[in-house]
Amino acid sequence: MTLTVLHSGTQTLIMDAGRPGHRHQGIPGGGAADKLSFAIANHLVGNRWDTPALECALGGLHIRFEKNHIIALSGAQMWSQNQGLNLPLNKAVPVEAGDILTMSFTRAGCRAYLAIAGGIEAEPFMGSVSTYMPAKLGGLDGEALKTGAVLRIGPKQDEPQSLPKGHTPILSNHVVLRAQQGPEWEALSDSAKRYLFTTPFYATAATDRMGTRLKGDQLTLENPVNMTSSPLLPGSLQVPPDGQPILALVDGHCTGGYARALQVIQADLWLLGQIAPGAAISFRRSLAEDAAAVLKRKNSFYADLIPGFSF
Amino acid sequence: MTAQTHLPKIMPYGDHAMLVDWSIGEFSETINDAVHALAAKLRQSGKYSEIVPGYDSLVCVFDLAVRTGETTKRHIEDILKQNLSRKTEVDQIAEIPVHYGGENGPDMERICRAAKLSVGEVIALHSRETYRVCMMGFIPGFTFLSPAPQALHHPRLETPRAKVPAGSIGIANWQTGIYGLESPGGWQIIGRTPLSIFDSKRDTPFLLNAGDRVRFVPQ
Repeated sequence: MTLTVLHSGTQTLIMDAGRPGHRHQGIPGGGAADKLSFAIANHLVGNRWDTPALECALGGLHIRFEKNHIIALSGAQMWSQNQGLNLPLNKAVPVEAGDILTMSFTRAGCRAYLAIAGGIEAEPFMGSVSTYMPAKLGGLDGEALKTGAVLRIGPKQDEPQSLPKGHTPILSNHVVLRAQQGPEWEALSDSAKRYLFTTPFYATAATDRMGTRLKGDQLTLENPVNMTSSPLLPGSLQVPPDGQPILALVDGHCTGGYARALQVIQADLWLLGQIAPGAAISFRRSLAEDAAAVLKRKNSFYADLIPGFSF
Repeated sequence: MTAQTHLPKIMPYGDHAMLVDWSIGEFSETINDAVHALAAKLRQSGKYSEIVPGYDSLVCVFDLAVRTGETTKRHIEDILKQNLSRKTEVDQIAEIPVHYGGENGPDMERICRAAKLSVGEVIALHSRETYRVCMMGFIPGFTFLSPAPQALHHPRLETPRAKVPAGSIGIANWQTGIYGLESPGGWQIIGRTPLSIFDSKRDTPFLLNAGDRVRFVPQ
């Protein structure tokens, strides 16, 4: 029950639901950057939603299956093929021993999830096999998969499933995030407060699982903020004195010292995983009283489909 | 000023976290004790996915599908009404060898210029203190220490560096600390220790814990 990595692509990582609860030790929760697409891929092949799967950023992953398996792809559209035949997204499909799956380059979104019935087996650290490269935790030796790596597949869990029409997320290269004011919102100048919710920003090449440096209108601070280091969360937009904001992502630092201008709402955190370098990003103001209702709607939309999953 | 007389602000940090902020613009051991005592109580309740204490602030992350910000705020207020005194236990004074300046401390010259001190004087000042480990975090093993001597205080870099090597020792305003791992970062780097602060392969991955005392030994 194995598969072989023929080409590791831009960055392919073993991921599960992460290791929440250790930010006070400097260890981010991590896990699948786009939790929704990850959960869908697992659900389709009959796995529990949080079973370890592969997260392929940008594209380029080629693998050979050494046994017959049921697989599913979800997340970014990478025009994947098995034995030269196009593979649909968000559908469980059988593959045979010796089949070669190839993933091209993403057209929309950043990360594709490849779930295999039974899941990937790896050594957990602090309860999770999720790869956290900055500290070399989880995955295979805490690193991205290398060409030639051989992965073990666990025992089959349940029968494959399908998703009803309209339940698959549609990704775009313009990521719209609903956000609320962060703790240092008042440190921003009036123009910066206006720009944040009206003009789009672009994700620069400095984009990885930790964060993305954005380029856009210069955000000026009303007063220089010489902050004492304070806790920081995924989905926080920090504004350093140079005025080019940094959006913290799933592996983001646990504390920070720059003004926290915005915080993306819980219901939209999954989208942070689909920000590719070059993507346009817009922030939309979320009113405090709306966020709970938005989350409730999104959770109930998937509650009956994917047991145990919530945003 | 004590933590009891100085009540923190409790404010929303987005829709799924609360920030408890004591910030008084300077370091206070009393407040850092109160932060850790509140963290311990919140952790005991088992209601939160993350409780992250800082020097003078704390962030408590909840699931908006299960609790509201209002109930979280009330819970924090109730705990703060109790007496949050906590004995600080000093477990050990760790001696950290440091190579100051040169390629290990690329920002040493800037600190010297700002402080109008020689490299030797900066080293002597920085290594004279016994520091307290106030919090761990940022990245695994990042060690946030009690204030550096006043003369060495310096703002963060305008633009953070993409890579700061593991073991780097830096200054950010009045703070000083150790990078546990290679990471992006905006602190002014004055030296580096060869010790490994965090190692997931060790039985105890963290070399230091909040509450420990630390002394730097120039090499």
